[in-house]
Amino acid sequence: MTEQTGRGPEPAHERASATQVGARGPEGLPDEVGAEPGQADRATAGAGRPEAGVAVLPAFDDHHPPEQELIDDCVHCGFCLPTCPTYVLWGEEMDSPRGRIYLMEIGRQGEAMNDEMVRHFDQCLGCMACVTACPSGVQYGKLIEATRQQVERRYPRSRRDRAFRALIFRLFPYPRRLRLLRGPLRLYQRSGLGTLARRAGLLERLPRRLSAMERLVPDLGRPEPVPEVTPAVGPRRRRVGMLTGCVQRVFFPGVNAATARVLAADGCEVVTPRAQGCCGALSLHAGREAEAQGFARAAIETFEATGVDQVVVNAAGCGSAMKEYGHLLRDDPVFAERARAFSEKVRDLSELLVELGPVAPRHPLPMKVAWHDACHLGHAQGIRAQPRAALRAIPGLELREIAESEICCGSAGIYNLVEPEPAAELGDRKAANVLATGADLLVTSNPGCLLQLRNALERRGRHLAMAHVAEVLDAAVRGADPASLLARD
Amino acid sequence: MDRQALIRRLEEIVGPQGVISERNQLRTYECDGLANFRVIPSVVVLPETADQARETVRACHEAGVPFVARGSGTGLSGGALPVSDGVLIVLARMRRILEVDLDNQRAVVEPGVLNLQVTKEVAPDGLYYAPDPSSQQVCSIGGNVAENSGGAHCLKYGFTTNHVTGLEVVLPDGELVHLGGGKAPDPTGYDLLGAFVGSEGTLGIATTVTLRLLRKPEAVRTLLAAFDGTDQAGEAVSRIIGAGIVPAAIEMMDALAMEAAEAAVHVHYPEGAGAVLVVELDGPAAEVEHQFDEVERLCREAGSTTIQIAEDDDQRALFWKGRKSAFAAVGRISPDYYVQDGVIPRTALPEVLRRINQLAADRGLRVANVFHAGDGNLHPLVLYDGEVEGQEQRAEELAAEILFTCLEHGGSITGEHGVGFDKKQYMPRQFSAEDLDTMQLVRCAFDPDGRANPGKVFPTPRLCGERPGPRRVHPAEQAGLAEVF
Amino acid sequence: MGVQDLERDGLLRPAEAAYPIDGVRARFVALPRSVEEASQVLAAAAADGLAVAFAGGGGKLGLGNPPERVDLMVLTCGLDQVLEHAAGDLVVRAQAGVRLADLQQRLAPAGQWLALDPPEPRATLGGVVAANASGPRRLRYGTVRDLIIGITVVLADGTVARAGGKVVKNVAGYDLAKLFCGSLGTLGMVAEVIFRLHPLPAAAAVVALQVEGPDQAGQAVRRLLRSTLEPSAVELTLDEWGWPGRLTAVFEGIQPGVEAQAAAAAELLGQVGEAAVAGPGQTEAAFNQLGALPFEKAEYALKAAFPPAELAGVLEDLGGGRLRWGGGPMTAHAGTGVLWMASGAREGDIPADSAAFGSTVRAITKARERLAARGGSLVVVKAPPELKRAVDVWGPAGDALGLMRRVKERFDPDRRLSPGRFLGGI
Repeated sequence: MTEQTGRGPEPAHERASATQVGARGPEGLPDEVGAEPGQADRATAGAGRPEAGVAVLPAFDDHHPPEQELIDDCVHCGFCLPTCPTYVLWGEEMDSPRGRIYLMEIGRQGEAMNDEMVRHFDQCLGCMACVTACPSGVQYGKLIEATRQQVERRYPRSRRDRAFRALIFRLFPYPRRLRLLRGPLRLYQRSGLGTLARRAGLLERLPRRLSAMERLVPDLGRPEPVPEVTPAVGPRRRRVGMLTGCVQRVFFPGVNAATARVLAADGCEVVTPRAQGCCGALSLHAGREAEAQGFARAAIETFEATGVDQVVVNAAGCGSAMKEYGHLLRDDPVFAERARAFSEKVRDLSELLVELGPVAPRHPLPMKVAWHDACHLGHAQGIRAQPRAALRAIPGLELREIAESEICCGSAGIYNLVEPEPAAELGDRKAANVLATGADLLVTSNPGCLLQLRNALERRGRHLAMAHVAEVLDAAVRGADPASLLARD
Repeated sequence: MDRQALIRRLEEIVGPQGVISERNQLRTYECDGLANFRVIPSVVVLPETADQARETVRACHEAGVPFVARGSGTGLSGGALPVSDGVLIVLARMRRILEVDLDNQRAVVEPGVLNLQVTKEVAPDGLYYAPDPSSQQVCSIGGNVAENSGGAHCLKYGFTTNHVTGLEVVLPDGELVHLGGGKAPDPTGYDLLGAFVGSEGTLGIATTVTLRLLRKPEAVRTLLAAFDGTDQAGEAVSRIIGAGIVPAAIEMMDALAMEAAEAAVHVHYPEGAGAVLVVELDGPAAEVEHQFDEVERLCREAGSTTIQIAEDDDQRALFWKGRKSAFAAVGRISPDYYVQDGVIPRTALPEVLRRINQLAADRGLRVANVFHAGDGNLHPLVLYDGEVEGQEQRAEELAAEILFTCLEHGGSITGEHGVGFDKKQYMPRQFSAEDLDTMQLVRCAFDPDGRANPGKVFPTPRLCGERPGPRRVHPAEQAGLAEVF
Repeated sequence: MGVQDLERDGLLRPAEAAYPIDGVRARFVALPRSVEEASQVLAAAAADGLAVAFAGGGGKLGLGNPPERVDLMVLTCGLDQVLEHAAGDLVVRAQAGVRLADLQQRLAPAGQWLALDPPEPRATLGGVVAANASGPRRLRYGTVRDLIIGITVVLADGTVARAGGKVVKNVAGYDLAKLFCGSLGTLGMVAEVIFRLHPLPAAAAVVALQVEGPDQAGQAVRRLLRSTLEPSAVELTLDEWGWPGRLTAVFEGIQPGVEAQAAAAAELLGQVGEAAVAGPGQTEAAFNQLGALPFEKAEYALKAAFPPAELAGVLEDLGGGRLRWGGGPMTAHAGTGVLWMASGAREGDIPADSAAFGSTVRAITKARERLAARGGSLVVVKAPPELKRAVDVWGPAGDALGLMRRVKERFDPDRRLSPGRFLGGI
């Protein structure tokens, strides 16, 4: 069947203008989509996206369409609905996992990949809470990734959309470029220009997505480099590599340093290759297949060269992506087996620490801590018990559970950049739940979540100390003063 | 009907973000939890308030257009199957809990509120909402009202109809009425509330539901007892009931069902068990302790090979998760399956199970059995592979035969999933023409134009304009356009 | 096909056998002995255009507005068979004329009972359904609508129809059984019923508390309901002299359970007043008293229904002098929000033109308003016809009345089944 783009063949009265269904015009939206706690129920589907009147037929081509076998696993029971953030927000079938799988199915059956279909795929956060909830074992992660790849390759996005995405992907996976921004950004913040601009409402004039970006930038502290090799403290139990990440290394350098120290304290020699690049998580989760594969190959080569036993990751999204390298490079005759073997070596920090069992004594940290399950840790990797165990092992630390912990905070990779409105609603919802715990410190293991939550709290005029789990463990191992954690933001 | 005009009118009522008319999006609504039947609705509307819902129904009435109501779309009888020339009214956005009255133990909720949400809301105050269908984390209260949903704990506590004390209903012509006493008992007049619950959306749409809340019992004890087979497990159930004990729930699963559930949930069912019972007792502590010991003893006497007693809430939750996930988990051991829902008198259980196994063997298909052993409500899961020639057909036939077996033993064609679209053809096997016509008198009073969820529950519609009396032949029948099954 | 044929077939009885309803006596009396005969009777009545009323034990015929007309009274005592008792399934199927007391006796040897305990001794199953009769144990077991699982009715034109079935779990078709609960014979005749049963409790314990006034009563009940105790009944009784009254909590089940609960209840209620667990002899007496109210003899009786949390307020509202006319006792199912008041007055005491009549009407009206303000209702359960006409037995109808009328029209298009007795004059 020949591929077609342009106006679909349906008669005019069958096609509702895409902006009508669930969408309000971009102009009509308030900038601060501050939902009341747990009351985010305004449909904002697709706001801010200019529709092109496109229909791609057939919806999917032969290069890794969403697999029929995986689609067939879905029995249409709907258990995924209440756990899906977009269904929770909008209550529409099309923005639920069940509905998205249905769209994939009808796409395979011959319906066109049109603006509406793409919008619903785009609005999926990729949080995989549905995978956790599904009794039938549907591998939704694979389905949405395959679908996103089809969309990225074959659906003609608007010029603005393309430009924005290009900007993101020319920036975030490149720590050096991010670092170049550090200086000017730091100046921007320190000089109070940022606050002034915000107060003066200048940011309202920026395109919505750029202003979203601006808000997400954290306050930048001093950079803290990690040595290429960190020797184990005491007998060496394992030799591990560490991924420093992109956003993590540039904006939260202290986290990497803490990670290395904690691993060393528990008997690991930590190898941190200076030349490492991006793991490709953002690209993979956004459906940019070739780009992700390129990053993956480079990462595999970098760590293979070190000969480490395992590769430790302290960012949930990155760990999840690296565990998928086998699937990502399955078609590559050179890398397929290497990727598979590599993925088996990947460990999240808390996962490894619990696997090893602690060695260094943990000093007391009397504080109330709320642990936030990052989606790519809890849902995608199924790692929930280990971080909790690691935190509970610290004497004096009281762990508080956050209500609705299975629902994404809205960060979701680049989601809070490309879909700022639902991201903000979800962020608000999560912020409310976090504040309700009465905790002194919010702990998580994903830089995206930290940024998102900080932003959401700021919108409410609230402030809560936040830290990465590595930093908390590091403080416990070093016997640091809890105030050092609580004083930061 | 001018579709575009109707769409415009609906957009005026709910706003453009509440109206769906694009084909791909409409298709995601073409079936509910029963994916065997699919019909694309003409338009889908998502009202957010009771007023919007009422205006929507009125608009349908004025346009002469049928409508179907839908909650979370998890029903298993096709009750929310759309009509192709009609409007699908989705209540999922009406999900606020409007009021909780702790003193009178009532909650007033919108129909899109999820079943489990109610219990979550009142749990901190020591209350809960008793009807607990297996899909309770996603099914809506409005859907529960339509189907008179049950659940494992309905053995002791009853069904939705015993826990709904008030309804605000939009009739198919848009009129708003209040049924039931709400917080006060014994309302005057006819029990139209009782007639409405379980009417499967054919009498109108409930826009507000008043629910009875129960106090959480002092003690809950749960055990998992394994047996060599369903006969022995059934014997245990008989002994328990015979001893005058009314457990909160008694559920049974056979080996095949356990296999599926284990794959999904990892309950660690005892190896080699032919059947397992989940028995739960609740109530005042002294009573529960005493009776629980007796239940354990009775299970052993009936031949239980292993008994696991839940030590804490987590383990108890695990036992239940295994049971509640069983339907969907069966997808892991078979490409396709069909959930049947039939009822038999509890005492007929062993014989009927044997018959089901025989019927299944005759057709070369497997059946996994999950059911509410305490009240005889069976859920045989007929497993098949749609890819294999003829299997789907055989599976349908087997499912039907299982129902006929239930009827032969004095049971019912549906215990909790409803008649919907799927089983209306079997209604004449359970009820006579007079019975069905009499029921339809109620429908004619509520919906004389036959616009609320047409094509569901009753195989042939009664002409509401005709005089009641001995049944006359429907013109469609006469014209050879319709058949009486 | 008409009444003459019924006579020929031996289905009629002498007219004197008819129970009068608010002074209206039927011309004909029929006594069918089977569902088929009942169908024949109703078809005959339809052919002759006769207005029909039904009677079981006759105890609740005073309920409702005075009938516009009654030509034929159908007695159900001929339908007196218990058809099937499936003890293993805890289900019983019986004809409508079976007396509730007889049924309980029949079920008891199997250790089971139908969990309904209305005080009327002659109540029949059909009557209990049609009048929605209930007793103290409704707190635990619910009312008729919660126990009925199947029904066979005979409609105004003689059609026999069934709904529900013999199994407790059943959602096939509409729940007509519930529609008939409390319908007072205005939709059709209840011919057969199928009920779910419960095991007979092995033991019982009673805790009694003396209550000095409405507030104390309210507090006591609130404490009981907020606890995890599960009483079968919580009854408040006031004799004709008023306060102090007696609050009785009944616990039924297995011996260790009821002992523990009674002790806990006594402690709980002891925080409010003087409470004690009744000894064996007192327990027996308490049971006999439970829910008893001399309705049969009373000529005036009222029933209030209200959200249970409003108990104290309702007691205040109703406790004021006027309404306790003639020194009548009161009993309340305090946990459920139902209260019954009977009066010792005779009709002659309040003649239609007297000042006492007027003030009675005003008092009832006022009480109704107060109850409505609390979300409740007041029904005149028994009164002479003049008072009924002055006050309207049922009270305000609500917005579903039109719908109810439409239902009635479908079932009884010629309006011959107890016309005028029901809500809104249906």
